[in-house]
Amino acid sequence: MNAPTGLDPASISERIQSEVQRAIMRSIKGVEYFSTSGPALGSTPKDVLHTRGTMNLYHYRPLANEIYRVPVLIVMATTNRGYILDMVPGMSFIEFLLKRGYDVYMLDWTPPRPEEKGLRMEDYVLDFIPDCVRHVQEDSGEQQVSVIGYCFGGVLSLLYGSIFNNGPMKNLICFTTPIDFREMKLFSNFADRRYFDVDQLVDSVGNMPPEMILSSFEMLRPVSRTVSQIQLWENIWNDEYVKSYRMFDRWATDILPLAGEYFRSITKDLMWDNKLYNGTMTVGGRKADIADIKVPILHAVAEHDHIVPYEAARHLIPRVASTDKEEVMLKGGHVSLVAGPNAVKRLWPKLDSWLSGRSI
Amino acid sequence: MADKKSSDPFALWQQMIGEMEKGINAFANQTMASPEFSRVLNRAGGLTAGAQKQFADFMEKYLQAMNLPSRAQMVGIAERLQSIEGQLSEIKATLHKMNSGAQQGAQVGILRPPRTRRPPGEPT
Repeated sequence: MNAPTGLDPASISERIQSEVQRAIMRSIKGVEYFSTSGPALGSTPKDVLHTRGTMNLYHYRPLANEIYRVPVLIVMATTNRGYILDMVPGMSFIEFLLKRGYDVYMLDWTPPRPEEKGLRMEDYVLDFIPDCVRHVQEDSGEQQVSVIGYCFGGVLSLLYGSIFNNGPMKNLICFTTPIDFREMKLFSNFADRRYFDVDQLVDSVGNMPPEMILSSFEMLRPVSRTVSQIQLWENIWNDEYVKSYRMFDRWATDILPLAGEYFRSITKDLMWDNKLYNGTMTVGGRKADIADIKVPILHAVAEHDHIVPYEAARHLIPRVASTDKEEVMLKGGHVSLVAGPNAVKRLWPKLDSWLSGRSI
Repeated sequence: MADKKSSDPFALWQQMIGEMEKGINAFANQTMASPEFSRVLNRAGGLTAGAQKQFADFMEKYLQAMNLPSRAQMVGIAERLQSIEGQLSEIKATLHKMNSGAQQGAQVGILRPPRTRRPPGEPT
């Protein structure tokens, strides 16, 4: 550490002046912050193609005059809202795909209702995803579909691809998808089978409350939220910073509850028995081994992912049977990999260059 | 540039906050990785869930005594509503399909661009 040397009184005076100006702006903008709502998110024009309980299938209206033959179905993580991939114009992954000529569909989730607490893993893998794929086929008139899964949406896509390994999935893209759940060390410890009675919890609460899920995410970095609020206050004079903060903060805290039975299965099969990694996973009595996946596959992982560390994700590409397969590690974290300025210049162009040639 | 940054008290403050965040997070993660932490956390969680269940049972009896619908009855109504919503959805989808079928001749090529795109740089 170097000691501060060569203090220039003129530059200190300038800096103090600018800090005083910022302090004034903070007071003005601070009032504005609390009296206005954040930017409208998820506004790329779309049609609701199909809804059934917690499941929603959207079709985004094409923005190119000529599109690729193979449509793209995005499968969102069941804990999060899909608008992370459709923030605001210029920062929307969906808009990017549409402008690059893809026909885009999204399987997004709404909070499961109390009466949906009995939804099981097989409802998601053997019913919701195939149902959406069928609707995409009907709507697009194409038999083949490329699937993009984000985080746990990637796990669901892998399970689907393992079971339906003779089509209609043409390409599979996973973002930050865990395979070895033991390597998600803190989650593993929170769900330690010696102390965590998942049956009692699910039987008591029905669906897993979003507050509980949010707490477990926040516990991974317990002071980061406080620090980000301090940083917000420091930068509240900066409209762009505030806009970005509001978008990501809203999304990060907008967590969905999880259907009780589905959560029970995630805990027992994936967290406790690590069945996806061990190749012993079954869904509705059907074997779901990722070694049976043969389609071209791209796995994008983040260098500083604190939710799905690389150790948990790295087994995907070596395990699948595909000959056309690639893992790409990019700078960023679990969220900045897919959204924000980092994603705009890293992941999105990479995905386009990989998928375009495979979408004809 | 580096000298200027190291002598700027505001930059130093931000750097200190960043370092502090990393340090506390790392320390907390270390603590939370212990089996003891899991035991305490889940004990507290279990107690909360148990209390919630007892409270829910009590509320159910209370509502019955007050001649108000119970949660189970409301869920029953919600299920019926959901089934009606599902049927409406199907009717909408059928109407949409019929409508797009009727307009197909007139609007083809306007609503759906041709699926003939090739990757940039590839001969067409």
